[in-house]
Amino acid sequence: MATDVKPTRKELMAIEDRIELSERGHGTLEQKRDGLIMEFMDILDRAQDVRGELTSDYEEAQRTINMARAMEGDVAVRGAAAALQEHPEITTESKNIMGVVVPQIESSRVSKSLDQRGYGLMGTSARIDEAAEAYEDLLESIILAAEVETAMKKMLEEIETTKRRVNALEFKLLPDLYESEEYIEQKLEEQEREEIFRMKKIKDKKEAEEAEAAAEETDPFVDADVQESVAGGD
Amino acid sequence: MSAGASNPEFVNARVRSRRATLFADEDYRKLIRMGPSGIARFMEEREYEDEINELGARFSGVDLIEYALNRNLAKHFDDLLDWSEGRLYDLIARYLRKFDVWNVKTVIRGIYTDTPAEEIRTDLIRAGELDDALLDRLVDAGEIEDVIELLNRTIFYEPLSAAFEVYEESGTLVPLENALDRTFYERLLADLGRPQEGPEAMYVEFLQAEIDFRNARNALRLARSGADLDPSAFYIEGGTLFTESELNRLVNDRDELVTHITEDRTYGDRLSTALDQLREADSLIQFEHALDAALLEYSDRLSSIYPVSVSAVLSYILAKEREVENIRAIARGREVGLSEAEIEDELVVL
Repeated sequence: MATDVKPTRKELMAIEDRIELSERGHGTLEQKRDGLIMEFMDILDRAQDVRGELTSDYEEAQRTINMARAMEGDVAVRGAAAALQEHPEITTESKNIMGVVVPQIESSRVSKSLDQRGYGLMGTSARIDEAAEAYEDLLESIILAAEVETAMKKMLEEIETTKRRVNALEFKLLPDLYESEEYIEQKLEEQEREEIFRMKKIKDKKEAEEAEAAAEETDPFVDADVQESVAGGD
Repeated sequence: MSAGASNPEFVNARVRSRRATLFADEDYRKLIRMGPSGIARFMEEREYEDEINELGARFSGVDLIEYALNRNLAKHFDDLLDWSEGRLYDLIARYLRKFDVWNVKTVIRGIYTDTPAEEIRTDLIRAGELDDALLDRLVDAGEIEDVIELLNRTIFYEPLSAAFEVYEESGTLVPLENALDRTFYERLLADLGRPQEGPEAMYVEFLQAEIDFRNARNALRLARSGADLDPSAFYIEGGTLFTESELNRLVNDRDELVTHITEDRTYGDRLSTALDQLREADSLIQFEHALDAALLEYSDRLSSIYPVSVSAVLSYILAKEREVENIRAIARGREVGLSEAEIEDELVVL
């Protein structure tokens, strides 16, 4: 609150410094927010594409596994799946987008060739291959979606935080500082006016005293008459 | 191997009555319109009553149907091996060893993934030559090496022992599974020669078709995958469609591979439609479907030309397998929400 501040010149200078810093920060944060929004829109487009691919990959994977389960039987499909013990590996790194740390997920051993799937080629069918392939594609899509959607979520959080900061500067901190600055300026001006008035009064009094003293020195009778007239007046 | 003279007349008399209990096309049309519980009930009223009742307390829905089908198939094929003797036993057992391969693979996969023994037992189809006691010992073995040791009196022992070293190096089951499948296919035609006429000629012709189709499937899958695999490792001797060198050459050029099959005198016409579809679409599924249909045609011929022979028994085996596959396809198809048209498209018999 403006009334909480001390109306001193030192405080005014400190507030002016804070205003300058806040205005500069406000401009920078606005630029950051706009930049983040632009990056977010790019990621959003990508996320929508990835989500679309994920949905179609999921439907395809379900279709192929359903067909494999129907035509080969659950036991055969489960058996083929059991032949694979090696799981895909996922490593996460991070990259920086405008100060936002987002994950970068690298996957390995997701897509496998026929000999890497564990089951023998001679005793299985193309349905099993297609189901395995479709699920490998689905897994790739899930990993990509996880990367893009996490980045999107983090960007969104950062945009929200930046927006709150911009709004706090714009609608709270800067107006308060302006108010405080104005308050101090008014107070200082008032103090200055009072000081001038006081000085003026002192000067007038001093001048009057000086004038009186000068008069006494030049005519002592006038002074006695004045004393008498003052006494008669009482 | 069973001792004594071959007894095709005895076995075929029983097979004929079993054949009469197989589901007809009309039954499949009824099943397509039913849900899993309706299918289970329909099965219970027919040939599968014992299995549905035995398994009903442990399983439900389509799992019940699938396990009941497998158990019923195993019962019938086990009977065939019990009834047959001599040469007939040998010829039937050759084909039914595919279930031994299935069972050994199931056990190895189960051990590989630390699956509980009871779950492994559930997935076995006891329709092959390996007896129940041996299968139970395999399940309880605990280590893949012990499984191989337990198979030391079977045709699978040596190939599995050789493949075990590769398995230990690679850590994947592929060498073991391929060794099992290869042993099965290579023993199909072993010592049979090339009979020109009679029931064994038809039997051999069918098995050659089975091997040729397996080679064609593998070649097309290899060509499609683009994996850097040695095609020779997947070549099965005994067919007429490819030589090993032809297969090695053709795997790298799918179009040429398809042309090679199309131009084959034995199979070209029969598979031409499927091969045209294969050229247009990337999926091998329709082609495999066509191969299954072609094998079914063979099985029909097998039963009609020499009704009292091994070929008629083999025809019944194929028909029973087809029945099991079709009922399972209908039940699973209904479970996963496939439309009636989609299921009908996938059934080979309809």
